[in-house]
Amino acid sequence: MSFFLNQVVIGIQLGSQYVMVALGLTLIFGILDISHFAHGHLYMLGAYLLYILTALAKVNYWLALPLCMIALALGGVIVERLVYRPLRDQPHINTFIAAIGLFLFLETLVRAVKPRAVSVSKPIDKTLSFAGFTIEVQRLIVIAGAVALVVLLHLFIKRTRMGTAIEAVAQDREGAALVGINVNRISMLTFAIATALAAAAAVLMAPLAFISPEMGSVLILKAFVIVVLGGLGSMQGAIVGGYLLGILEALAIAYVSSAYKDVFAFAVLILILAIRPTGLFKGRD
Amino acid sequence: MLELQGVYCNIGKHEVLHGVSLEMEQGELVCMLGANGAGKSTLFRTISGLLRPTQGSITFEGEVISRIRPDAIVRKGISLCPEGRKLFPRLSVKKNLMMGAYSRYREKEEVAAALREVYELFPILEERGEQEAGTLSGGEQQMLAIGRALMSQPRLLLLDEPSLGLAPLVVTRIMETIVDINRRGITIMLSEQNASMALSISTRGYVLENGSIVLEGSAEELAGNEEVKKAYIGA
Ligand SMILES: Nc1ncnc2c1ncn2[C@@H]1O[C@H](COP(=O)(O)OP(=O)(O)O)[C@@H](O)[C@H]1O
Ligand SMILES: [Mg+2]
Repeated sequence: MSFFLNQVVIGIQLGSQYVMVALGLTLIFGILDISHFAHGHLYMLGAYLLYILTALAKVNYWLALPLCMIALALGGVIVERLVYRPLRDQPHINTFIAAIGLFLFLETLVRAVKPRAVSVSKPIDKTLSFAGFTIEVQRLIVIAGAVALVVLLHLFIKRTRMGTAIEAVAQDREGAALVGINVNRISMLTFAIATALAAAAAVLMAPLAFISPEMGSVLILKAFVIVVLGGLGSMQGAIVGGYLLGILEALAIAYVSSAYKDVFAFAVLILILAIRPTGLFKGRD
Repeated sequence: MLELQGVYCNIGKHEVLHGVSLEMEQGELVCMLGANGAGKSTLFRTISGLLRPTQGSITFEGEVISRIRPDAIVRKGISLCPEGRKLFPRLSVKKNLMMGAYSRYREKEEVAAALREVYELFPILEERGEQEAGTLSGGEQQMLAIGRALMSQPRLLLLDEPSLGLAPLVVTRIMETIVDINRRGITIMLSEQNASMALSISTRGYVLENGSIVLEGSAEELAGNEEVKKAYIGA
């Protein structure tokens, strides 16, 4: 039983990164109606920035966390402004192509500069054991960090005027412009928040895995499935879907085989979609 | 207060407004009559900045506003209650109203006063304050749309077919409120397909056909005009 629970905790940790990445993706989808396929690659840039800051420039990990979030928030704003906004009134396929182009560009660029995977060390390199549980401290940091950020995001959206404006733009873009909301500014804000969240996920996760140019590809695929599964544009859906996928993966690793973890997890997701094609939660109309 | 001079507007490549000119004085209640597809909504959307005129100018209180964004036009004092309402369906009624005052958030007392006034006009909105806007009935949603448009405390209110799809009793109630809002000093332009009802509350009116103004006059003149009677009153 405690082995099972231990795996569930590890699943929650795996799910934490999915939640953070999928939340950004679903927010952007809600606001701009676009599938921002390069989102995972901005996550990858966040991990490399962490590597540059901590391994090369010897900046403290805890200072690097906010620095990476701020830098990537700016990166997100630039992407919105330069790549997506000019295509705002164009057919969807153009935006789709732009997103794929950005995706390939970033991956190729990083591979050209640094072809081999790198790693960063853990800020607290310890493993806790108690009551049959064994868990690395970094995994607990990931879980706590994700919870803190998700709660902050929730409070921001539900309790502040700017946050409500994000919801308003997502629910009716024209209605939002008519009440005096600068829709472009809200789009930029959304990209900033979403990309900062992805950067936080990258910084929290990086000490547990290798940093490589491809790390964004699989992640974005999973995040995308979570967003569809949870209901496009639904924040609740991204949270539940993200943790669900993480737990399924951890159980698959423990009870089936780590080679088949993605197969198993995706199979369950496809099954859920077959039963509920609109996703678990109601997103956009 | 508002002046349009030779306003042309395209939707895509298709020219919808062909040189519309009109003028409104402070305090008026003017109706814009026209059949479905005449260009009423396009005209209102152009005034509120959602569409850019390709030619011509729009002047509000002496300032040219034909080139500025919709959110800036709201701050100048023009508010559009659009066709289809464009509410935020999953936000509460109260949040919808508060979003209406988005750009005035610093003026806490004035916003609170505006909210009280909206609740006074439509008490049902206060009762339903915590409910999601999407769960309201059609008539209540229209009241919310008008209330939200009032929250920015506009000097000019554009109402695009507020009676569309509503039961006759609700329409009467909404028309009474429009008169009430106008009495409180807000200039109103109202678009309608139902001419007799619109003319009964307006001081003046225009008739729009295929993107051009073909007739204008006082409410009595238009109500007595044979063409208007034939085309829009169904006599
Ligand atoms: N989104 C659109 N795309 C193409 N044509 C449109 C669009 N919206 C309106 N039109 C055309 O513009 C004209 C005016 O429409 P509209 O302003 O909605 O008229 P009204 O509000 O008087 O019913 C119509 O002929 C309509 O076919
Ligand atoms: Mg119309």
